[in-house]
Amino acid sequence: MTFTDVRRLELDADTADVALAMDEDAFRAFYDRTSGALWGYLSRISGDRQVADDLLQESYYRLLKSNTAFESENHRRNYLYRIATNLVRDSRRGRQPLFTDAEMTDVAAPESHVGYEGRADVRRALGRLKPRERAMLWLAYAQGSSHSEIADVLGLKTASIKLLLFRARRKLAAML
Amino acid sequence: MNRLEPTARPERATRVESDAEIEAIVAEAIATEAAQARREAAPPSSAIVWWRAQMRARREAAQAAGRPITIVHGLAIACFCGLALSLAGTLIAGVRGSAGWLANVYASLAGLAASLAAIDLTSRWVMLPMTAMLATIVIASIAAYVIFADE
Repeated sequence: MTFTDVRRLELDADTADVALAMDEDAFRAFYDRTSGALWGYLSRISGDRQVADDLLQESYYRLLKSNTAFESENHRRNYLYRIATNLVRDSRRGRQPLFTDAEMTDVAAPESHVGYEGRADVRRALGRLKPRERAMLWLAYAQGSSHSEIADVLGLKTASIKLLLFRARRKLAAML
Repeated sequence: MNRLEPTARPERATRVESDAEIEAIVAEAIATEAAQARREAAPPSSAIVWWRAQMRARREAAQAAGRPITIVHGLAIACFCGLALSLAGTLIAGVRGSAGWLANVYASLAGLAASLAAIDLTSRWVMLPMTAMLATIVIASIAAYVIFADE
């Protein structure tokens, strides 16, 4: 490769559209359908809204840069959640537990006293679960994911999801 | 009845027996929390995320393209340093080996200068080779410019 070849590549990279996994319209439609739910997942799994904001964009960027051929919208969505889960796990390395009492009660203005207490309770209880249990319960009951989808997102065996979910449910219910 | 109400806990503790009941409690709690999370969510617009992704991908592509030139630069500098060091070593050894080396060089240069001064520059046997050399230097320079500045 000569110097001129290298310079030409640089110029091409500056001016032409770079290759991403989706075109703009498809991406924007997919993002509009999924970003709110993904933000909720990230914020509750990481316990930090700022982390959720950062990881949301990183998740979509990695999805766009991936070379995976998606069979369906669900496949793409599960892949996105898998990326997000891995990013949360990586961001947590070397840090203190992200859920603190202050963060757990840091909710929007309550509509009623009972609703506020209830949400704080759920958040506090979720914060005491293991990250994998939190993710599993959220995927199952907030996202409505099947066992095989949960296994795919969390990198576990489908056969073990039923038991792990059962234990996580009991643990959370005991804390509520 | 709201299952999440704190005052309901003792009652629930005794009531929760079957997995179906536990599942219902957990499903309700997480669904409520998910609804709250959806209300809190304020992700950036898809246009902004797309634009940032494009910019980042371009920057990374440019960095990846620039990487080989950095390697070539590094190799060239390393080769030059090695060559310079070996030449320096040879020169130092030569100087140490012959004490009168500089005097010999001076005498040779003086002889060469005297010979050059004696040459008749108007002679065609001198003019022709010198013109050819100059032409070669000029043509080579132009050719190098055309090759490397083809953008």
